[in-house]
Amino acid sequence: MTDLGTWPAGPQTEPAGPPSGSLADLLERVLDKGIVIAGDIKIDLLDIELLTIRLRLFIASVETAKKAGIDWWETDPALSSRAARDALSEENARLRARLEALEDADTSEVAR
Amino acid sequence: MSTLPADRAPATGPDLPHPTVTCAFAVTDTPPRNEAVSVTPGHDGGGPLRVLAAGPLYLLVQDVPAAAFGEEALAERLNRPDELERCARAHHRGVETAASAGPVVPLPMATLYLDDHNAVRAVTARAASLRTLLDRLRNRTEWAVKVHGPGTGHASGAAGDGPADGRSYLRRVSERRRSEREERERALARAHAVDRELRRYAVAATRHRPQSEQLTGRSVPQLLNAAYLVDDRRRAEFVRAVGELARDAHRSAVEVTLSGPWIPYSFARSDEAERVAQQEAGA
Repeated sequence: MTDLGTWPAGPQTEPAGPPSGSLADLLERVLDKGIVIAGDIKIDLLDIELLTIRLRLFIASVETAKKAGIDWWETDPALSSRAARDALSEENARLRARLEALEDADTSEVAR
Repeated sequence: MSTLPADRAPATGPDLPHPTVTCAFAVTDTPPRNEAVSVTPGHDGGGPLRVLAAGPLYLLVQDVPAAAFGEEALAERLNRPDELERCARAHHRGVETAASAGPVVPLPMATLYLDDHNAVRAVTARAASLRTLLDRLRNRTEWAVKVHGPGTGHASGAAGDGPADGRSYLRRVSERRRSEREERERALARAHAVDRELRRYAVAATRHRPQSEQLTGRSVPQLLNAAYLVDDRRRAEFVRAVGELARDAHRSAVEVTLSGPWIPYSFARSDEAERVAQQEAGA
């Protein structure tokens, strides 16, 4: 089952809107540019708060991907640099180390 | 996904009873036709969309009620998923209209200025890098390609077959885990291959984070969430390549899907303009 059936049949001259089902895609694109330039209205605090919304929407996707063992995108240089990325992989490494330590402790206990 | 009646919100005309601020949607060097602009509904409660000249560029803007776009009001509204969606869709409509005559640089959602004068000044100050970006995006569109991996439990070797003793059971379980892992690795390799192949047809490519199952509404993991900037004259070629990859991928239990053409949001970034400038300087 693919989306082949819904593809544009021929070349189109105008960029069309997103297909109706792709709200996630639209949000991803719109929000990827950040929200609210504080042109000359003071919205500094808001800027930060709004970015957390964006993160909240997509953080779940990170978790899902990791569960599936997918983390190549974290280290992929083709990805634009994101401050959160390094922090996340660092935390990931730290958690893995802890988990290993715990598992080792567990095994030695069982062995006794 | 909810359907929103707000898509039909009419503009309320120029004589707004309350103070307004200028909300900017996108910058272009080819102004859209007035007829297209005047019929596009922008943000709820705002005035009609307008085109402002900003030096060599044009800016698509709308007067929006200051009360609804103030610090607290916006934070409150955008924290509600339905309002966030309504706002994002309104923004996208504005960007689309701005793009009806030529390339655009979409501005971040809710880019606000106290008045037109300030908006024009801000764009004029960045005119050089905006023009570089517009040139880069001209006659190019963005395409989104996703690869979804095999769902769990696809791997062969059910734990229920064979002798019923504990040792055999454990062996079968670990066997199944191993084949699941291998299948996942194959699917990932497949996703990589799809990306590698499609980059050959694109002038630029970028990967977004894989979307969660919650976002996609599907129970299989997303292995690749990529966007490609493709020359319009290579469009047919690109689409055909995706089609072939989709058919091939089918055999390895992954699914390749395409959406587009999109306004090149993913490539209309100022860091992109800097990168291009650096490349040109280095070449």
